Amino acid sequence: MKVQYVSPFAEASVNVFEMLIGCKPERGSLSARPQMFTSQQINIVCGITGRVEGLVIYGMSMITADKIASKMIGSPVVTFDQLAASAIAELGNMISGHSASLLAAEGYQCDITPPTIIRGTNVSVTTLDIPAIVIPMSLPEIGTFEINVSLQERLAQAA
Amino acid sequence: MAKRILITDDALFMRVTLKNILTQNGYEVVGEATNGSESVELYKQLKPDLVTMDITMPEMDGIAALKQIKAHDPTANVVMCTAMGQKNMVVEAIQAGAKDFIVKPFQAERVLEAVSKLLAA
Repeated sequence: MKVQYVSPFAEASVNVFEMLIGCKPERGSLSARPQMFTSQQINIVCGITGRVEGLVIYGMSMITADKIASKMIGSPVVTFDQLAASAIAELGNMISGHSASLLAAEGYQCDITPPTIIRGTNVSVTTLDIPAIVIPMSLPEIGTFEINVSLQERLAQAA
Repeated sequence: MAKRILITDDALFMRVTLKNILTQNGYEVVGEATNGSESVELYKQLKPDLVTMDITMPEMDGIAALKQIKAHDPTANVVMCTAMGQKNMVVEAIQAGAKDFIVKPFQAERVLEAVSKLLAA
């Protein structure tokens, strides 16, 4: 998988976090996984379709999700309810949307699907036979936000 | 009388956020649609002064809903409010009749500026 598909997601997450909750994440070092896999408690899954296609999963701990949702909603999240889940899903939607704009600017026109939240650890997604690249983003005083990107260029355009 | 607004977004969080921004500034939120087809139906029923429209939604996306609303009422004020900011998406929405295009995440002032500009006339 080309690194140029991955960089827009790191850049987009920095922009979105800064604007949304006033927190600048620090990018950690990239690692690769042979398959899409997440060991995080809260995962937002977004599909990407177009010139590049595949999946992106944003993973974080429950505590991190609570802290981000509290900042987005503007009041403390006591239980991770429907509103908190929706805020976290929307965060994934914003980062994916922003990334799609950056990819389009590089000539990779693509669209995103509505986000899905998966709760539970050790989730492996095996619909795609392409490796995943993981970018850990460290949010000061909030926690780690992990971006798993599994994309490939579409070889033949549909007629 | 307060101007009447219909909010369209599949995310509860976004509907709550937009509703707070609008109601705290003197607008009345008359309806909340969670996808494009609901938005078209509610538009016909409620005849709002303005519609906020997300793009990425299940069932019917915001561009298709925008086109149906404009076909029903060419004077409709529809403001796109979406995470998808790429140029071709903005061009498609404006060509289909959207009056403004707000990219998420947004500041409250950006929403209020767009809404007040359209509803002042």
